[in-house]
Amino acid sequence: MTRNLTMPDGHLAGPARVGIGGPVGSGKTALIEALIPIFISRGVEIAVVTNDLVTKEDARRLQSGGLIDPERVVAVEAGACPHTVIREDPTLNIAAADDLEARFPALDLILIESGGDNLASTFSLDLVDWWMFVIDVGQGDDIPRKRGPGIMLCDFLVVNKLYIAPYVFVDAADILSEARDVRAGKPVIGCRCKGASIEGVPEIADAIIRNVLFRQVAA
Amino acid sequence: MEIYTSIIGAADAPEHQDALHHLEHHHAVDVLCLSRADLARRRLRTWTEAGHEVAIALPRDQQLFDGAVLALSDDRALVVRVEAEHWLRLAPRDTAAALRLGYFCGNLHWRVRFDQGHVLVAVETDARLYLERLDALLAEGAVMLAQDRETAG
Repeated sequence: MTRNLTMPDGHLAGPARVGIGGPVGSGKTALIEALIPIFISRGVEIAVVTNDLVTKEDARRLQSGGLIDPERVVAVEAGACPHTVIREDPTLNIAAADDLEARFPALDLILIESGGDNLASTFSLDLVDWWMFVIDVGQGDDIPRKRGPGIMLCDFLVVNKLYIAPYVFVDAADILSEARDVRAGKPVIGCRCKGASIEGVPEIADAIIRNVLFRQVAA
Repeated sequence: MEIYTSIIGAADAPEHQDALHHLEHHHAVDVLCLSRADLARRRLRTWTEAGHEVAIALPRDQQLFDGAVLALSDDRALVVRVEAEHWLRLAPRDTAAALRLGYFCGNLHWRVRFDQGHVLVAVETDARLYLERLDALLAEGAVMLAQDRETAG
């Protein structure tokens, strides 16, 4: 048959690239910190590209956290328009991902965390294969109703910080329900990636493993 | 699940036409129908029209296109087809309105094309959401909806 499947060693050619976008403070870096041990435990070789406006803050946080080899974290300084370097001209991020791919040939996955932006940021599919958008309940219960492009177009919407809902006087279940309504069936998940109990993070790892690494995950 | 990691060629290429034509007669050409936006993906897990789950993992220098042949054998083939796109056709009242509409579409990062003095906006989510954003321009008559849904392959 004239077609091709996986490489002889069972690996796909090159790592998958997954985008993680969302507003400042929604918990993108915390989510990555929670995902890293899960990926490692499942044998997924990962690296991370972070985007900050004018610093390397998020990269330094990951590099110093002890969760991942610091060499596997690369920072991109996005300048004043963080959405531009993941959408209109993702050259810097593509170069950063190419660099990681060349230095670590066994990589399965590169996570590309966007610089924080508003609800309008989306990822170019020239840069990533699949992308998530992270919002949090502390931003208010009207966030899904605002239907920003990030919320509407992402492959997977993550509603983070479920545990703070009572303190900011919102109903997390209502936010999740409204998010599912506006996305008309596209996936939405509630998440808690800090504290004594983690919620939703293994399912997010499953979604990535299933959708771009094409591996089986437990039902 | 089969994983396709390269594109064999184009369905209309002379070297594939006879084989595909033969397989079509035997109902052995399966179709992977994708949105135009999804063509840009290098990795994708989805279902064919015949109900087979498939995955695509292309090298970064390859891109899917309408008619891309992913599998071709003596007894079956898999070909990519692009879903028809829907467009809103908007007619600005005058030059000033055209400038405002152009700015407005750019500000919202809408994908557009231009045709005979009209602006065509690609409907990538729900057409209602685009019309809600345009409500003020439509209400004051600066922009008219020349056609609420236009289909193009």
